[in-house]
Amino acid sequence: MKKSGELQNSPQAASKKVARQKVLLGLVGAFVVLLAVLPLFASGFWMRTLTLLFLLAAMAEGWNFIGGYTGYAAFGNVAFFGIGAYGTALSMLRLHFPFFLALLVGAAAAMLFAVLVGLPVLRLKGHYFAIATVALATGVGEVADFWTDFTGGAAGLTLPFFHPIQLSNYFFYYIAFVLVLFGLGLTYFIMKRKLGYSWLAIREDEDAAKMMGINTTWSKVVAFALSALMAGLAGGIYAYWNTFVLAEEVFKIEYTLQMILATVLGGPGTVFGPFIGAFIYYILITLLVFFLPVGQLHATILGLIIILVMVFTPQGVMDFLSGRKRLTLSALLENIRTHKV
Amino acid sequence: MKRSFQILLAMLMIAAVVLAACGKSGGEKQAAGGGQQGGEKCVITFGAAVSLTGKYAKEGEYVKNGYNLYVEQINKQGGIKVGNKTCEVALKIYDDESNADRSAQLVEKLITEDHVQFLLGPYGSGNTYATTAIAEKYQVPMVEANGAATKIFKRGFKYSFAVLTPAPYYLRGIIDMALDADPNIKTVAIVAENGAFALEVAQGAKDYAEEKGLQVVYFDKYTKNTKDVSSLITAIKAKKPDILLGAGHLQDTLLIVKQAKDLNVSPKVFGFSVGPTAPEFRKALGKDADYIVGGAQWTPELKIQSDDVFGTPQKFAELYEAKYGEVPPYQAAESAAALIAYQKAIEAAGSLDKDKVRDALASLDYMSFYGRLKFNEQGMNVYKPMAVMQNYPDGKLYTVWPKEAATKPFIYPFKPWDQR
Amino acid sequence: MGSLELTQGVVNAILLSGTLALVAIGFSIVWGILNIINIAHGAFIMLGAYVTYWLFTLFGIDPFLSIPLSMITLFIVGYVIQRYLINLVIRAPLLVTFLLTFALEIVIINLATFFWKGDLRSVTPAYSGAGFTIGAVQIPYVRLGAFAISLLLTGLLHVFLTYTKTGNAIRATGMDIDAARLQGVKIAQSYALTFALGSALAGAAGSLISISFPIDPTMGGAYTLRAFLICVLGGLGSIPGVMLGALLYAFIEVFSGIYAPGLKDAIALFVLVFVLIVRPTGIAGKAFYH
Repeated sequence: MKKSGELQNSPQAASKKVARQKVLLGLVGAFVVLLAVLPLFASGFWMRTLTLLFLLAAMAEGWNFIGGYTGYAAFGNVAFFGIGAYGTALSMLRLHFPFFLALLVGAAAAMLFAVLVGLPVLRLKGHYFAIATVALATGVGEVADFWTDFTGGAAGLTLPFFHPIQLSNYFFYYIAFVLVLFGLGLTYFIMKRKLGYSWLAIREDEDAAKMMGINTTWSKVVAFALSALMAGLAGGIYAYWNTFVLAEEVFKIEYTLQMILATVLGGPGTVFGPFIGAFIYYILITLLVFFLPVGQLHATILGLIIILVMVFTPQGVMDFLSGRKRLTLSALLENIRTHKV
Repeated sequence: MKRSFQILLAMLMIAAVVLAACGKSGGEKQAAGGGQQGGEKCVITFGAAVSLTGKYAKEGEYVKNGYNLYVEQINKQGGIKVGNKTCEVALKIYDDESNADRSAQLVEKLITEDHVQFLLGPYGSGNTYATTAIAEKYQVPMVEANGAATKIFKRGFKYSFAVLTPAPYYLRGIIDMALDADPNIKTVAIVAENGAFALEVAQGAKDYAEEKGLQVVYFDKYTKNTKDVSSLITAIKAKKPDILLGAGHLQDTLLIVKQAKDLNVSPKVFGFSVGPTAPEFRKALGKDADYIVGGAQWTPELKIQSDDVFGTPQKFAELYEAKYGEVPPYQAAESAAALIAYQKAIEAAGSLDKDKVRDALASLDYMSFYGRLKFNEQGMNVYKPMAVMQNYPDGKLYTVWPKEAATKPFIYPFKPWDQR
Repeated sequence: MGSLELTQGVVNAILLSGTLALVAIGFSIVWGILNIINIAHGAFIMLGAYVTYWLFTLFGIDPFLSIPLSMITLFIVGYVIQRYLINLVIRAPLLVTFLLTFALEIVIINLATFFWKGDLRSVTPAYSGAGFTIGAVQIPYVRLGAFAISLLLTGLLHVFLTYTKTGNAIRATGMDIDAARLQGVKIAQSYALTFALGSALAGAAGSLISISFPIDPTMGGAYTLRAFLICVLGGLGSIPGVMLGALLYAFIEVFSGIYAPGLKDAIALFVLVFVLIVRPTGIAGKAFYH
């Protein structure tokens, strides 16, 4: 996915870009403060909605590494979420690890899996890579569902409640929130480093990147493993939060689609895009479900929104939010002019 | 630049306003709810997240119908007696899209924003797992009627109750009935959908069959949402079982029957935990539904006399048919029974206090139109037997087991496909 | 393992492969020529199944006879969707068309559930379930018929693509869009025709499926995934490849179904990943349609 705005290099454009980034950073900062104090006012319902939103945002940030920056259409990242959930749950139940240690075990398991399958699968390109990842995620989900002795199978695993129970809403809200911030920081950190540039180089032209001496295999596997880290942590938190793990729930393809949608909506290959996209997407569907009297047609409306977004602004809303583009009718129609036949 | 600033600022403000408003409006409602208690008009609100779209849309509709029918009837009588006044009953139902995350989110909304007093269950074991945990977190009672997996109740929860007979008991009636019809039956094949509920049903059936001296010649599970079970049927065909039992949901049940016919597999008794008693079963299969038996939590033919709003199963069926135009499936009856359990507990407690009602539920023992309502210490109703129904060649469903409730005799054996 | 299981399994797999080939072939030409992974393919199959169901239930039209009607309906649906929607973003990155067709699937399934309810339905003509036996092996007429029709339609598609002007234009578009344009091929129309053709084949597959399996609005997803797998196994871009992929997949599915029913899909999926890694273009992979 090419970002036209990012490669401008005249000094004027550069200073403008810096100023833009400052404003954006300030606004996101204000937003973050708002979210941090929100639990003082919000109901349990909104706490839950936002906790799930944060987990989704964290997964989207992870997906952004491989899908947004490196340009590999990974469609199986839910596998990491599921492995994180199972790793955490099993460590807590079988090994009696405390939650945070178990969470790390879950995330490590997800990363290990990413490295092992990443080495062969990241050799594939385009649709073939996409499908191999879908297949792996579905396959791993089925194994978890079927391997009753180890994973509890379809009967699932049940975890103890967080204690004290009155604080559990706050605990999970803040831990998920911290995960989102960690993801933002990690993205920012990496994209200032050689690793980040190697991802962009791979996205633009992998063969050229290789010739420039970039170890593309290593870069891609790291991108894949870091996306697994984010999804694995999200999965572990999800497991403890919901107090049960069922394969059909933690491996469902909807999560993959949601993280991609959030990233694409916000702007793939941008630091804040996945977070903003997750926010817009999840608040939107929540509001749709509760506040729009459309009977059972909310899925249709969601579908229509996705269609409109894809047709008019497939580069994500970040282009508009960051001021790279002005939100005008012609900017919206430009996409159709560029991509139609 | 300016524009982008404006947009992001607008987004922030919208978010802040929406969230704050929602938090606040919830608070106001709570105050209003408290006020109602002392006023003349009193309303008891029950909340539920039910699947109205997605893969359990059909079953969810039955559940919703059951809840609604009860509410309509009780309000005709003025409502539920709480101490010395009578409270009207209101229902707040959301669509959980057959999605456990959504289900949890909705129940959290019902409790913290809509401030419903009591919770009713969703459809299916998966969503029941998710929602009972939330009810427990807020210490709000939930009487559910459509999640039969016992694992839900082995977590030591204090606020969850189920009116329906637990999963391991589902197929016992069919085994008893088959042995009663023909003591020479020797072998049984059991297939189960790979899901929490179905696996417990299958395991329960296997244990019971072995206890009764039968040989389980085939026991395996198939993938959820499968579209093709012909391989499985082929494997069973080679075993020639006397009884073929399936544990799953309506969809797989239809698939198994269709493909058993295709491959000409005709056991002497052909039965399922869920499916044959649903009106859709006959609609989907036509004549092929004949002779197939199914376990039923409840049937309209049961001979029960109760002093609840419905009185008898027949009366319930009559009211249901008048309103929804079809014979009530048991999901509707058990859903209505969940509300009856609440009614009797509230009457006994004489209060709407959540803990008092919870205690009253725990010690409830009441004969409703649906059957006996009594919970063990885990919150499961292990006191109500399952009935068995058979699809008769005349196109109707009759109760054939237990014998004392039977409206027609059990037709044995199953008429082989190639002799029809 | 009994020999009955084995022979019946082989027969089942061969019969199944016909329907599966038809399921995958429409998906394959859309992918091969338009470079679109059509997530909504399963939803088109579902629509085809419902066309047959309604014609059978309301007018008593035999399900096999309703196949052309189901194909025409889906042809129109497909044409309109491609011409007025997907063509607008066809040159955008892969993700965009992927998500667009995903959204289409959501909309179609939701509308179908809304209008027709989530009920499971079945098409039950008088001959359903009838069949003949060879030895102990059971061969249902319906499945045999579905197999024959699948082969017929696949053959017709091959003839169409190879020997007609329009077919050649479609293939030319898939090979080199600029060269095709220079040759006077109207690209937008050619794309729409290709997608319409893929949809029509999905409709036919849906009609055939409705005769052997119960149908409901969410039935399509499983077929989209199978179409994926078959295309990759067989290799993108050739009709024989799809048929080979379908046969292979049918065998994996049927036999893992006999010996490990719960792991049916997992086995197929891992075989797929293995094939991809060893031969990234599939077993009989070639470029485009020859």
